[in-house]
Amino acid sequence: MIELFHGGPDGYSAAVLITLAEKGLAFESQELDLAAFAQHEPGFLAINASGQVPVLRDGGRTLTESFFILLYLDARYPELPLGGADPQGRYVVQKWGKYVETHIAPNLALVDWAMRGRAPGEAERVRLATLAPERQALWAQALAGFAADEVEAARAALAKAADRIAEELAGQDWLAGADWSLVDAIVFPHAARFASLGIAVPAVLADWLARAGRRPAVRQALGSAGSVPGVATMGPERGRWG
Amino acid sequence: MLEVYTWEPNANSGKPLFFLKEKRVPFVLHYIDMGKREHLSPAFLRINRDGTIPAVVHDDFVMTESTPIMEYIDDAFDGPALRPTDPYWRWRMRQVMRYMDNQVAPSLAMMASNRLAAPQFQGADPAELKRELDKIPLPERRAAWEKLMFNSTPPADLAESVRRVGAAIRYFDARLDETAWLAGPEFSLADINVFATFYGLPTSQPDQVNAQTTPHLWDWLRRCHARAGLQQAFKLGKGYIGQRAAEARSLLGVAEAAA
Repeated sequence: MIELFHGGPDGYSAAVLITLAEKGLAFESQELDLAAFAQHEPGFLAINASGQVPVLRDGGRTLTESFFILLYLDARYPELPLGGADPQGRYVVQKWGKYVETHIAPNLALVDWAMRGRAPGEAERVRLATLAPERQALWAQALAGFAADEVEAARAALAKAADRIAEELAGQDWLAGADWSLVDAIVFPHAARFASLGIAVPAVLADWLARAGRRPAVRQALGSAGSVPGVATMGPERGRWG
Repeated sequence: MLEVYTWEPNANSGKPLFFLKEKRVPFVLHYIDMGKREHLSPAFLRINRDGTIPAVVHDDFVMTESTPIMEYIDDAFDGPALRPTDPYWRWRMRQVMRYMDNQVAPSLAMMASNRLAAPQFQGADPAELKRELDKIPLPERRAAWEKLMFNSTPPADLAESVRRVGAAIRYFDARLDETAWLAGPEFSLADINVFATFYGLPTSQPDQVNAQTTPHLWDWLRRCHARAGLQQAFKLGKGYIGQRAAEARSLLGVAEAAA
Protein backbone atom coordinates (compact mmCIF):
# COMPACT_ATOMS: atom_id res chain seq x y z
CA MET A 1 0.00 0.00 0.00
CA ILE A 2 1.31 3.46 -0.92
CA GLU A 3 1.49 5.87 2.00
CA LEU A 4 1.82 9.61 1.39
CA PHE A 5 2.85 12.20 3.96
CA HIS A 6 1.77 15.57 2.58
CA GLY A 7 0.73 19.08 3.46
CA GLY A 8 -2.60 19.16 1.65
CA PRO A 9 -3.26 20.23 -1.96
CA ASP A 10 -0.55 22.90 -2.18
CA GLY A 11 2.79 23.12 -3.97
CA TYR A 12 4.75 19.91 -4.20
CA SER A 13 2.25 17.93 -2.11
CA ALA A 14 -0.47 18.84 -4.61
CA ALA A 15 1.68 17.60 -7.50
CA VAL A 16 1.85 14.13 -5.94
CA LEU A 17 -1.83 14.11 -4.93
CA ILE A 18 -2.82 15.07 -8.48
CA THR A 19 -0.59 12.39 -10.02
CA LEU A 20 -1.92 9.66 -7.70
CA ALA A 21 -5.43 10.72 -8.74
CA GLU A 22 -4.52 10.80 -12.46
CA LYS A 23 -3.23 7.24 -12.19
CA GLY A 24 -6.12 6.11 -10.02
CA LEU A 25 -3.79 4.79 -7.33
CA ALA A 26 -5.17 4.16 -3.85
CA PHE A 27 -3.03 5.40 -0.97
CA GLU A 28 -3.05 6.00 2.74
CA SER A 29 -3.09 9.74 3.36
CA GLN A 30 -1.08 11.27 6.22
CA GLU A 31 -1.80 14.98 6.14
CA LEU A 32 0.44 17.30 8.15
CA ASP A 33 -0.60 20.80 9.23
CA LEU A 34 2.29 22.85 7.88
CA ALA A 35 0.93 26.09 9.35
CA ALA A 36 1.32 24.43 12.76
CA PHE A 37 4.84 23.19 11.83
CA ALA A 38 3.83 19.51 12.09
CA GLN A 39 6.62 18.70 9.60
CA HIS A 40 9.17 19.57 12.29
CA GLU A 41 7.82 17.17 14.91
CA PRO A 42 10.21 14.39 15.95
CA GLY A 43 7.99 11.64 14.52
CA PHE A 44 8.15 13.16 11.06
CA LEU A 45 11.83 14.12 11.25
CA ALA A 46 12.53 10.43 11.86
CA ILE A 47 10.92 9.80 8.46
CA ASN A 48 12.52 12.73 6.65
CA ALA A 49 15.35 14.50 8.48
CA SER A 50 14.99 17.60 6.29
CA GLY A 51 11.47 18.19 7.66
CA GLN A 52 9.88 18.59 4.24
CA VAL A 53 6.80 17.11 2.61
CA PRO A 54 5.83 15.19 0.58
CA VAL A 55 7.30 11.81 1.47
CA LEU A 56 6.14 8.62 -0.22
CA ARG A 57 6.39 5.14 1.23
CA ASP A 58 6.01 2.22 -1.11
CA GLY A 59 7.05 -1.41 -0.80
CA GLY A 60 9.01 -0.74 2.38
CA ARG A 61 10.96 2.12 0.86
CA THR A 62 10.85 5.80 1.77
CA LEU A 63 11.19 8.35 -1.02
CA THR A 64 11.67 12.12 -0.82
CA GLU A 65 12.17 14.84 -3.49
CA SER A 66 8.78 15.52 -5.03
CA PHE A 67 9.69 15.54 -8.69
CA PHE A 68 11.60 12.28 -8.37
CA ILE A 69 8.64 10.78 -6.51
CA LEU A 70 6.55 11.60 -9.60
CA LEU A 71 9.10 9.98 -11.92
CA TYR A 72 9.23 6.95 -9.61
CA LEU A 73 5.43 6.59 -9.60
CA ASP A 74 5.41 6.78 -13.38
CA ALA A 75 8.03 4.02 -13.70
CA ARG A 76 6.59 1.83 -10.95
CA TYR A 77 2.96 2.19 -12.09
CA PRO A 78 3.35 2.62 -15.86
CA GLU A 79 -0.31 2.33 -16.76
CA LEU A 80 -1.27 5.75 -18.14
CA PRO A 81 2.31 6.97 -18.70
CA LEU A 82 2.78 10.63 -17.74
CA GLY A 83 6.53 11.10 -18.14
CA GLY A 84 6.55 12.36 -21.76
CA ALA A 85 5.73 10.61 -25.02
CA ASP A 86 9.25 10.44 -26.49
CA PRO A 87 12.82 11.39 -25.48
CA GLN A 88 12.23 15.06 -26.32
CA GLY A 89 9.03 15.15 -24.27
CA ARG A 90 10.84 13.42 -21.42
CA TYR A 91 13.64 16.03 -21.59
CA VAL A 92 11.04 18.81 -21.34
CA VAL A 93 9.56 17.10 -18.28
CA GLN A 94 13.00 16.86 -16.66
CA LYS A 95 13.90 20.42 -17.56
CA TRP A 96 10.76 21.81 -15.91
CA GLY A 97 11.09 19.55 -12.88
CA LYS A 98 14.47 21.15 -12.28
CA TYR A 99 13.24 24.66 -13.06
CA VAL A 100 10.42 24.40 -10.51
CA GLU A 101 12.91 23.19 -7.93
CA THR A 102 15.55 25.84 -8.53
CA HIS A 103 13.63 28.88 -9.79
CA ILE A 104 9.95 28.66 -8.89
CA ALA A 105 9.41 26.85 -5.56
CA PRO A 106 12.11 28.69 -3.52
CA ASN A 107 11.02 32.12 -4.76
CA LEU A 108 7.32 31.37 -4.34
CA ALA A 109 7.92 30.33 -0.73
CA LEU A 110 9.91 33.49 -0.08
CA VAL A 111 7.27 35.85 -1.52
CA ASP A 112 4.46 33.96 0.17
CA TRP A 113 6.24 34.10 3.52
CA ALA A 114 6.99 37.81 3.15
CA MET A 115 3.27 38.47 2.60
CA ARG A 116 1.65 36.03 5.01
CA GLY A 117 4.27 34.21 7.08
CA ARG A 118 3.26 33.58 10.67
CA ALA A 119 6.02 33.28 13.26
CA PRO A 120 5.98 29.94 15.10
CA GLY A 121 5.15 29.60 18.78
CA GLU A 122 7.86 28.98 21.35
CA ALA A 123 7.71 25.16 21.13
CA GLU A 124 8.00 25.19 17.33
CA ARG A 125 10.79 27.76 17.49
CA VAL A 126 12.85 25.60 19.85
CA ARG A 127 12.32 22.63 17.58
CA LEU A 128 13.94 24.45 14.63
CA ALA A 129 17.29 23.67 16.30
CA THR A 130 16.70 19.96 15.58
CA LEU A 131 16.69 20.53 11.80
CA ALA A 132 19.65 20.01 9.48
CA PRO A 133 21.95 23.09 9.42
CA GLU A 134 20.81 24.29 5.96
CA ARG A 135 17.12 24.10 6.95
CA GLN A 136 17.86 25.89 10.23
CA ALA A 137 19.63 28.65 8.32
CA LEU A 138 16.70 29.05 5.91
CA TRP A 139 14.19 29.29 8.77
CA ALA A 140 16.40 31.74 10.64
CA GLN A 141 16.25 34.02 7.57
CA ALA A 142 12.48 33.61 7.33
CA LEU A 143 11.95 34.49 11.00
CA ALA A 144 14.27 37.48 10.76
CA GLY A 145 12.32 38.61 7.69
CA PHE A 146 13.63 38.63 4.15
CA ALA A 147 15.14 41.93 2.96
CA ALA A 148 13.05 44.02 0.56
CA ASP A 149 15.54 43.55 -2.29
CA GLU A 150 15.45 39.77 -1.82
CA VAL A 151 11.66 39.79 -2.06
CA GLU A 152 11.87 41.99 -5.15
CA ALA A 153 14.38 39.60 -6.79
CA ALA A 154 12.11 36.65 -5.98
CA ARG A 155 9.13 38.45 -7.52
CA ALA A 156 11.17 39.19 -10.65
CA ALA A 157 12.15 35.51 -10.87
CA LEU A 158 8.50 34.45 -10.66
CA ALA A 159 7.44 36.99 -13.30
CA LYS A 160 10.13 35.58 -15.60
CA ALA A 161 8.95 32.04 -14.81
CA ALA A 162 5.38 33.00 -15.75
CA ASP A 163 6.65 34.25 -19.12
CA ARG A 164 8.70 31.10 -19.73
CA ILE A 165 5.75 28.84 -18.92
CA ALA A 166 3.60 30.87 -21.34
CA GLU A 167 6.33 30.57 -23.98
CA GLU A 168 6.46 26.78 -23.61
CA LEU A 169 2.66 26.60 -23.96
CA ALA A 170 2.58 28.49 -27.25
CA GLY A 171 0.69 26.34 -29.75
CA GLN A 172 0.08 23.38 -27.46
CA ASP A 173 -2.41 22.44 -24.75
CA TRP A 174 0.07 21.07 -22.20
CA LEU A 175 3.67 21.83 -21.27
CA ALA A 176 5.23 18.70 -22.77
CA GLY A 177 2.98 18.56 -25.86
CA ALA A 178 -0.49 17.33 -26.68
CA ASP A 179 -0.99 15.31 -23.48
CA TRP A 180 -1.04 16.11 -19.78
CA SER A 181 2.23 15.06 -18.13
CA LEU A 182 4.06 15.14 -14.81
CA VAL A 183 5.36 18.61 -15.63
CA ASP A 184 1.82 20.00 -15.77
CA ALA A 185 1.16 18.36 -12.40
CA ILE A 186 4.21 19.97 -10.82
CA VAL A 187 3.94 23.44 -12.39
CA PHE A 188 0.17 23.82 -11.87
CA PRO A 189 -0.02 24.08 -8.05
CA HIS A 190 2.83 26.61 -8.08
CA ALA A 191 1.62 28.75 -10.99
CA ALA A 192 -1.93 28.70 -9.60
CA ARG A 193 -0.63 30.88 -6.75
CA PHE A 194 0.94 33.59 -8.94
CA ALA A 195 -2.12 35.86 -9.24
CA SER A 196 -2.76 35.98 -5.49
CA LEU A 197 0.87 36.99 -4.94
CA GLY A 198 0.55 39.82 -7.44
CA ILE A 199 2.56 38.12 -10.21
CA ALA A 200 1.28 39.00 -13.70
CA VAL A 201 -0.28 35.97 -15.42
CA PRO A 202 -0.10 36.00 -19.25
CA ALA A 203 -3.34 35.02 -21.02
CA VAL A 204 -1.96 31.72 -22.35
CA LEU A 205 -0.95 30.77 -18.80
CA ALA A 206 -4.37 31.74 -17.43
CA ASP A 207 -6.05 29.54 -20.08
CA TRP A 208 -3.81 26.61 -19.19
CA LEU A 209 -4.53 27.06 -15.45
CA ALA A 210 -8.27 27.01 -16.18
CA ARG A 211 -7.88 23.92 -18.40
CA ALA A 212 -5.85 22.13 -15.72
CA GLY A 213 -8.37 23.10 -13.04
CA ARG A 214 -11.15 21.35 -14.98
CA ARG A 215 -9.41 17.97 -14.97
CA PRO A 216 -11.22 15.44 -12.78
CA ALA A 217 -7.96 14.34 -11.12
CA VAL A 218 -7.04 17.92 -10.27
CA ARG A 219 -10.51 18.58 -8.83
CA GLN A 220 -10.28 15.37 -6.84
CA ALA A 221 -6.87 16.35 -5.43
CA LEU A 222 -7.95 19.89 -4.58
CA GLY A 223 -11.01 18.55 -2.77
CA SER A 224 -13.71 20.75 -1.31
CA ALA A 225 -11.55 23.91 -1.36
CA GLY A 226 -11.61 23.77 -5.15
CA SER A 227 -8.41 25.79 -5.48
CA VAL A 228 -4.79 25.70 -4.36
CA PRO A 229 -4.98 27.17 -0.83
CA GLY A 230 -1.37 28.29 -0.34
CA VAL A 231 0.50 27.57 2.88
CA ALA A 232 3.26 29.96 3.95
CA THR A 233 6.24 27.72 4.67
CA MET A 234 9.81 27.34 3.45
CA GLY A 235 10.40 25.45 0.22
CA PRO A 236 13.72 24.32 -1.28
CA GLU A 237 16.55 26.79 -0.65
CA ARG A 238 17.56 29.24 -3.37
CA GLY A 239 20.80 28.56 -5.19
CA ARG A 240 23.76 29.84 -3.17
CA TRP A 241 26.18 30.30 -6.07
CA GLY A 242 25.12 31.15 -9.63
CA MET B 1 23.99 14.74 -35.43
CA LEU B 2 24.91 15.57 -31.85
CA GLU B 3 26.68 18.88 -31.22
CA VAL B 4 28.19 19.73 -27.85
CA TYR B 5 29.00 23.31 -26.88
CA THR B 6 31.09 23.23 -23.75
CA TRP B 7 34.31 24.17 -22.02
CA GLU B 8 36.65 21.87 -20.11
CA PRO B 9 36.04 18.32 -18.81
CA ASN B 10 35.17 19.77 -15.41
CA ALA B 11 31.94 20.06 -13.35
CA ASN B 12 28.82 20.90 -15.40
CA SER B 13 30.89 21.59 -18.55
CA GLY B 14 32.39 18.15 -18.22
CA LYS B 15 29.20 16.15 -17.73
CA PRO B 16 28.32 15.69 -21.44
CA LEU B 17 31.96 14.87 -22.26
CA PHE B 18 32.38 12.22 -19.55
CA PHE B 19 28.93 10.86 -20.30
CA LEU B 20 29.27 10.66 -24.11
CA LYS B 21 32.64 8.93 -23.88
CA GLU B 22 31.16 6.34 -21.48
CA LYS B 23 28.07 5.98 -23.68
CA ARG B 24 30.29 5.70 -26.80
CA VAL B 25 28.13 8.10 -28.79
CA PRO B 26 29.98 10.15 -31.43
CA PHE B 27 29.57 13.93 -31.29
CA VAL B 28 30.96 17.19 -32.64
CA LEU B 29 32.65 19.28 -29.96
CA HIS B 30 32.49 23.09 -30.12
CA TYR B 31 34.97 24.31 -27.52
CA ILE B 32 33.63 27.41 -25.76
CA ASP B 33 36.48 29.27 -24.10
CA MET B 34 35.06 30.63 -20.86
CA GLY B 35 38.32 32.47 -20.17
CA LYS B 36 37.60 34.52 -23.29
CA ARG B 37 33.91 34.87 -22.27
CA GLU B 38 32.82 33.00 -25.40
CA HIS B 39 29.74 31.73 -23.52
CA LEU B 40 28.52 35.36 -23.50
CA SER B 41 29.20 35.96 -27.20
CA PRO B 42 26.24 36.77 -29.48
CA ALA B 43 26.90 33.53 -31.40
CA PHE B 44 26.53 31.38 -28.30
CA LEU B 45 23.65 33.42 -26.85
CA ARG B 46 21.72 32.53 -30.02
CA ILE B 47 22.00 28.88 -28.94
CA ASN B 48 21.37 29.50 -25.22
CA ARG B 49 20.00 32.92 -24.28
CA ASP B 50 20.89 32.25 -20.62
CA GLY B 51 24.60 32.08 -21.50
CA THR B 52 25.25 28.88 -19.54
CA ILE B 53 27.23 25.90 -20.72
CA PRO B 54 26.97 23.13 -21.66
CA ALA B 55 24.46 23.24 -24.49
CA VAL B 56 23.78 20.14 -26.55
CA VAL B 57 21.95 20.24 -29.87
CA HIS B 58 20.52 17.02 -31.31
CA ASP B 59 19.41 17.76 -34.86
CA ASP B 60 17.42 20.93 -34.09
CA PHE B 61 16.54 20.15 -30.49
CA VAL B 62 18.44 22.45 -28.11
CA MET B 63 19.13 21.35 -24.53
CA THR B 64 20.83 23.43 -21.85
CA GLU B 65 20.47 21.54 -18.56
CA SER B 66 23.45 19.27 -17.99
CA THR B 67 21.77 16.59 -15.87
CA PRO B 68 18.59 16.24 -18.00
CA ILE B 69 20.88 16.21 -21.08
CA MET B 70 22.51 13.02 -19.82
CA GLU B 71 19.11 11.44 -19.18
CA TYR B 72 17.97 12.43 -22.69
CA ILE B 73 20.96 10.91 -24.46
CA ASP B 74 20.79 7.72 -22.39
CA ASP B 75 17.12 7.56 -23.36
CA ALA B 76 17.49 8.36 -27.08
CA PHE B 77 20.75 6.62 -28.11
CA ASP B 78 22.10 3.09 -28.25
CA GLY B 79 25.10 2.16 -26.15
CA PRO B 80 25.66 0.90 -22.60
CA ALA B 81 22.67 1.76 -20.36
CA LEU B 82 23.84 4.24 -17.75
CA ARG B 83 20.64 4.44 -15.69
CA PRO B 84 19.38 1.64 -13.41
CA THR B 85 16.19 0.03 -14.72
CA ASP B 86 14.75 -0.60 -11.25
CA PRO B 87 12.49 2.39 -10.35
CA TYR B 88 13.89 2.66 -6.80
CA TRP B 89 17.55 2.71 -7.86
CA ARG B 90 16.72 5.16 -10.59
CA TRP B 91 15.12 7.38 -7.92
CA ARG B 92 18.32 7.03 -5.88
CA MET B 93 20.42 8.03 -8.92
CA ARG B 94 18.37 11.22 -9.30
CA GLN B 95 18.48 11.97 -5.58
CA VAL B 96 22.30 11.77 -5.64
CA MET B 97 22.46 14.03 -8.70
CA ARG B 98 20.11 16.60 -7.18
CA TYR B 99 22.14 16.71 -3.97
CA MET B 100 25.28 17.18 -6.04
CA ASP B 101 23.80 19.77 -8.42
CA ASN B 102 22.01 21.89 -5.81
CA GLN B 103 24.14 21.60 -2.70
CA VAL B 104 27.62 20.24 -3.27
CA ALA B 105 28.83 21.37 -6.70
CA PRO B 106 27.85 25.05 -6.15
CA SER B 107 29.71 24.97 -2.81
CA LEU B 108 32.87 23.63 -4.46
CA ALA B 109 32.45 26.16 -7.28
CA MET B 110 32.23 29.00 -4.74
CA MET B 111 35.40 27.78 -3.01
CA ALA B 112 37.38 27.16 -6.20
CA SER B 113 36.39 30.38 -7.97
CA ASN B 114 37.19 32.49 -4.91
CA ARG B 115 40.61 30.87 -4.80
CA LEU B 116 41.38 30.88 -8.52
CA ALA B 117 39.26 33.52 -10.27
CA ALA B 118 38.77 36.30 -7.69
CA PRO B 119 42.48 37.32 -7.51
CA GLN B 120 42.51 37.96 -11.29
CA PHE B 121 40.17 40.93 -10.83
CA GLN B 122 42.22 42.69 -8.17
CA GLY B 123 43.17 46.16 -9.36
CA ALA B 124 40.88 46.08 -12.41
CA ASP B 125 38.88 49.14 -13.40
CA PRO B 126 35.50 48.88 -11.58
CA ALA B 127 33.64 50.51 -14.48
CA GLU B 128 35.06 47.87 -16.84
CA LEU B 129 34.03 45.09 -14.43
CA LYS B 130 30.48 46.51 -14.26
CA ARG B 131 30.30 46.41 -18.06
CA GLU B 132 31.41 42.76 -18.00
CA LEU B 133 28.76 41.98 -15.36
CA ASP B 134 26.01 43.57 -17.41
CA LYS B 135 26.66 41.02 -20.18
CA ILE B 136 25.63 38.10 -17.93
CA PRO B 137 21.96 37.28 -18.64
CA LEU B 138 21.00 35.34 -15.47
CA PRO B 139 20.59 37.48 -12.33
CA GLU B 140 21.74 34.70 -9.99
CA ARG B 141 24.89 34.16 -12.04
CA ARG B 142 25.50 37.91 -12.21
CA ALA B 143 25.30 38.06 -8.40
CA ALA B 144 27.95 35.34 -8.02
CA TRP B 145 30.31 37.00 -10.50
CA GLU B 146 29.84 40.36 -8.81
CA LYS B 147 31.07 38.80 -5.55
CA LEU B 148 34.10 37.37 -7.35
CA MET B 149 34.99 40.56 -9.21
CA PHE B 150 34.70 42.75 -6.13
CA ASN B 151 36.02 40.10 -3.74
CA SER B 152 32.88 40.36 -1.61
CA THR B 153 31.85 36.76 -0.95
CA PRO B 154 30.84 36.78 2.74
CA PRO B 155 33.29 34.66 4.79
CA ALA B 156 30.29 32.92 6.42
CA ASP B 157 29.13 31.76 2.96
CA LEU B 158 32.56 30.33 2.22
CA ALA B 159 32.62 28.59 5.61
CA GLU B 160 29.19 27.10 4.90
CA SER B 161 30.46 25.79 1.56
CA VAL B 162 33.45 24.17 3.26
CA ARG B 163 31.05 22.54 5.73
CA ARG B 164 28.82 21.24 2.94
CA VAL B 165 31.69 19.78 0.94
CA GLY B 166 33.02 18.05 4.05
CA ALA B 167 29.58 16.63 4.81
CA ALA B 168 29.23 15.42 1.21
CA ILE B 169 32.59 13.67 1.29
CA ARG B 170 31.56 11.76 4.43
CA TYR B 171 28.07 11.07 3.05
CA PHE B 172 29.35 9.61 -0.23
CA ASP B 173 32.00 7.56 1.58
CA ALA B 174 29.23 6.02 3.75
CA ARG B 175 27.02 5.38 0.72
CA LEU B 176 29.87 3.65 -1.11
CA ASP B 177 30.29 1.33 1.87
CA GLU B 178 26.74 0.08 1.13
CA THR B 179 26.87 -0.24 -2.66
CA ALA B 180 29.68 -0.46 -5.21
CA TRP B 181 28.49 2.63 -7.10
CA LEU B 182 26.51 5.67 -6.00
CA ALA B 183 23.15 4.43 -7.30
CA GLY B 184 23.45 0.71 -6.61
CA PRO B 185 25.47 -2.17 -8.02
CA GLU B 186 26.04 -0.63 -11.47
CA PHE B 187 27.95 2.43 -12.69
CA SER B 188 25.42 5.17 -13.59
CA LEU B 189 24.85 8.85 -14.31
CA ALA B 190 25.14 9.48 -10.55
CA ASP B 191 28.78 8.39 -10.65
CA ILE B 192 29.50 10.53 -13.73
CA ASN B 193 27.81 13.52 -12.11
CA VAL B 194 29.79 13.31 -8.87
CA PHE B 195 33.06 12.38 -10.59
CA ALA B 196 32.83 15.47 -12.84
CA THR B 197 33.28 17.60 -9.72
CA PHE B 198 35.13 15.21 -7.36
CA TYR B 199 37.85 13.83 -9.69
CA GLY B 200 40.48 16.20 -8.30
CA LEU B 201 39.75 15.86 -4.57
CA PRO B 202 42.77 13.60 -3.87
CA THR B 203 45.01 16.56 -4.76
CA SER B 204 42.79 19.53 -3.76
CA GLN B 205 41.49 18.11 -0.43
CA PRO B 206 44.20 15.61 0.61
CA ASP B 207 43.39 15.93 4.33
CA GLN B 208 39.74 15.01 3.82
CA VAL B 209 40.01 12.53 0.94
CA ASN B 210 42.61 9.82 1.33
CA ALA B 211 42.89 6.04 1.64
CA GLN B 212 42.66 6.10 5.46
CA THR B 213 39.93 8.69 6.11
CA THR B 214 37.58 7.86 3.23
CA PRO B 215 38.52 4.34 2.05
CA HIS B 216 35.29 3.74 0.11
CA LEU B 217 35.37 7.07 -1.70
CA TRP B 218 39.07 6.52 -2.41
CA ASP B 219 38.41 3.12 -3.95
CA TRP B 220 35.52 4.57 -5.97
CA LEU B 221 37.78 7.36 -7.27
CA ARG B 222 40.34 4.71 -8.30
CA ARG B 223 37.67 2.72 -10.17
CA CYS B 224 36.32 5.85 -11.89
CA HIS B 225 39.75 7.18 -12.88
CA ALA B 226 40.64 3.75 -14.33
CA ARG B 227 37.68 3.82 -16.76
CA ALA B 228 38.77 4.32 -20.36
CA GLY B 229 35.78 6.55 -21.21
CA LEU B 230 36.40 8.98 -18.36
CA GLN B 231 40.10 9.14 -19.20
CA GLN B 232 39.31 9.89 -22.84
CA ALA B 233 37.09 12.79 -21.81
CA PHE B 234 40.00 14.47 -20.01
CA LYS B 235 41.90 14.46 -23.32
CA LEU B 236 39.24 16.78 -24.80
CA GLY B 237 40.32 19.68 -22.61
CA LYS B 238 42.76 22.37 -23.66
CA GLY B 239 43.64 23.80 -20.26
CA TYR B 240 45.08 22.51 -17.03
CA ILE B 241 42.22 20.12 -16.18
CA GLY B 242 43.87 17.17 -17.93
CA GLN B 243 47.04 17.77 -15.93
CA ARG B 244 45.08 17.93 -12.68
CA ALA B 245 43.39 14.61 -13.52
CA ALA B 246 46.76 13.03 -14.30
CA GLU B 247 48.05 14.15 -10.89
CA ALA B 248 45.00 12.58 -9.22
CA ARG B 249 45.56 9.30 -11.12
CA SER B 250 49.18 9.29 -10.04
CA LEU B 251 48.23 9.79 -6.36
CA LEU B 252 45.58 7.07 -6.63
CA GLY B 253 48.01 4.69 -8.30
CA VAL B 254 45.83 4.36 -11.41
CA ALA B 255 47.52 3.43 -14.67
CA GLU B 256 46.75 5.16 -17.96
CA ALA B 257 44.09 3.15 -19.80
CA ALA B 258 44.87 1.76 -23.25
CA ALA B 259 43.62 4.15 -25.94
